[in-house]
Amino acid sequence: MRVPGVDPSAPPPGPFRDGFWRSPLRGPKLTAMLGLVLLIGIPVVAVTGLLSNDAYQPGLGTNALGRDAGGPLDLYLFGWPTHPSWLYALTQGLHVTIGLALVPVLLAKLWSVIPRLFEWPPVRSPAHLLERLSLALLVGGALFEFATGILNIQLWYAFNFFFTTAHYYGAWVFIAAFAVHVALKLGTMRRSLRTRAELLGAAPGHELSVEAGGAGRSLTAVDPAPASMSRRALLGTVGAGSLLLLVQGAGQSLGGPLRSLAFLAPRGRVGSGPLGFPVNRTAVAAGITPVAAGAGWRLLVVGERSLRLSREQLLALPQHTYDLPIACVEGWSTTQRWSGVRLRDLAALSGARGRLSATSVSLESHGLFGRATLGHEQVADESSLLALRVNGIDLSLDHGYPARVISPAVPGVHCTKWVEQMHFTAEAT
Amino acid sequence: MTPIARFRRFYGAGPLHLLALVASFAIAGAAIVGWFQQPRDIGNVLVWFAAAIIGHDLVLLPLYALLDRIAFGRGVERSAERSGLVNPTPYLRIPALLSGLLLLVFFPLIFRLADRTMTRASGISQSGYLARWLLSTGIMFALSGVAYAVALARARGRPQSQRA
Repeated sequence: MRVPGVDPSAPPPGPFRDGFWRSPLRGPKLTAMLGLVLLIGIPVVAVTGLLSNDAYQPGLGTNALGRDAGGPLDLYLFGWPTHPSWLYALTQGLHVTIGLALVPVLLAKLWSVIPRLFEWPPVRSPAHLLERLSLALLVGGALFEFATGILNIQLWYAFNFFFTTAHYYGAWVFIAAFAVHVALKLGTMRRSLRTRAELLGAAPGHELSVEAGGAGRSLTAVDPAPASMSRRALLGTVGAGSLLLLVQGAGQSLGGPLRSLAFLAPRGRVGSGPLGFPVNRTAVAAGITPVAAGAGWRLLVVGERSLRLSREQLLALPQHTYDLPIACVEGWSTTQRWSGVRLRDLAALSGARGRLSATSVSLESHGLFGRATLGHEQVADESSLLALRVNGIDLSLDHGYPARVISPAVPGVHCTKWVEQMHFTAEAT
Repeated sequence: MTPIARFRRFYGAGPLHLLALVASFAIAGAAIVGWFQQPRDIGNVLVWFAAAIIGHDLVLLPLYALLDRIAFGRGVERSAERSGLVNPTPYLRIPALLSGLLLLVFFPLIFRLADRTMTRASGISQSGYLARWLLSTGIMFALSGVAYAVALARARGRPQSQRA
């Protein structure tokens, strides 16, 4: 394909000329090794991300946060299980931790292929044009997902858009481009990993790859500068960077003594929070006053009938104690010992029967998570509580006093704090 | 010429290539339609998407390549060649890269860009991140310095002919 005004044999000066790229470290093998790590890591991050969407149970109540949860890309495949109770801590911990650990791999991979951005001529064939457009979605999708995720866990909302919707559909842009990139390049990657570097030029083309107008620019420098560092040292540096970031993510996810190792993580070494463990929203931020949560507070329970219960009346009901994690979508978790009334006991008091979902409504006057709906799996589970106490003492105001929901394996924000109403409704089957 | 060969000649690759790309564009298109569910956000989302590509490929990458060239250009190489000893470049470049990586990922915490949001959300302040980042940077350079000293001592212990 001839592009008017472009002379294929006369690239403009600078990065469009082969001699511009001089690093002796670049080459098909380096790119293939980094590609292999991403080929394993990116699906882990993608699958755990989609699982997180499922864990939010976007089909129930207002859980979809304004997103149309019935669209073709809105996977909501199964009701979220309650066992093991650390399931969401695991999947979301992996999502954030592996995502962080892949940052240096992604950066190194992009560095290794940057000469291809300045190929000359810019377009060799319709196939080449489409593939370059797809690469724009791939690189843009990767950087967009990583950047928004990393900023979100640090609560720096520099972007003026709603994170959840942007990150969810951005993931699909990335996944679509990633899948086709793997399909087109898997053969090249395998061949590069198998073949000794000096033989690569002679290797036969992959049947899916772009052929017309010759192969793309070689990743190996035509006029390499003297090596100031070995390829092994570069890969070691990438590995060390991954390990440093892995420790940040793992420390705030696993908690315990490991939390102090996470010296730069948002919920790592910096300190824990009220009562010695973290919260994702203080009473001040939620607009909760001690008066609203004080002696006049009553819990409204709505099922077949409605009733109002004071905190003393709730404490007089059978109390149960479970060790359950709060696992935040931001990747941190903390396991504590919660005591309170079983949700299914409250449901029975209200006379509700069948497969019940439970919508908890908070005193919280503003904010996205003033209400959340748990599915019948959660309501039926014996360890789903309206918690009144934690670690043997009353909840503090920041932890949701007078009462909060705690339920196994659900995203932390679905464990509504400062609960004012519980509605039990039969789930459509 | 067979139809497939004609197709290849015009298109530049086999039919599977086209099918795979069209499928991928269709899914990406559906995702972009999903973004439109927040009509007020769509402009910002698209700007961020484009800015992510430009910001990395045309700003961040050239910037760190330039810094690397300024820091470890011919001067360092020549001094190592002159002394005939161990090339110090990796021992400086590796801790610099790792420190830069931590800064790139955690700069909002390090520079307390969301301190108010964080304090309201978590009840804890973002203080101490800058000091811990600087300290970790110092430790990495110190460890690298020890590794360089060891490599240097080994090189001095070897006869001249075997020096790298």
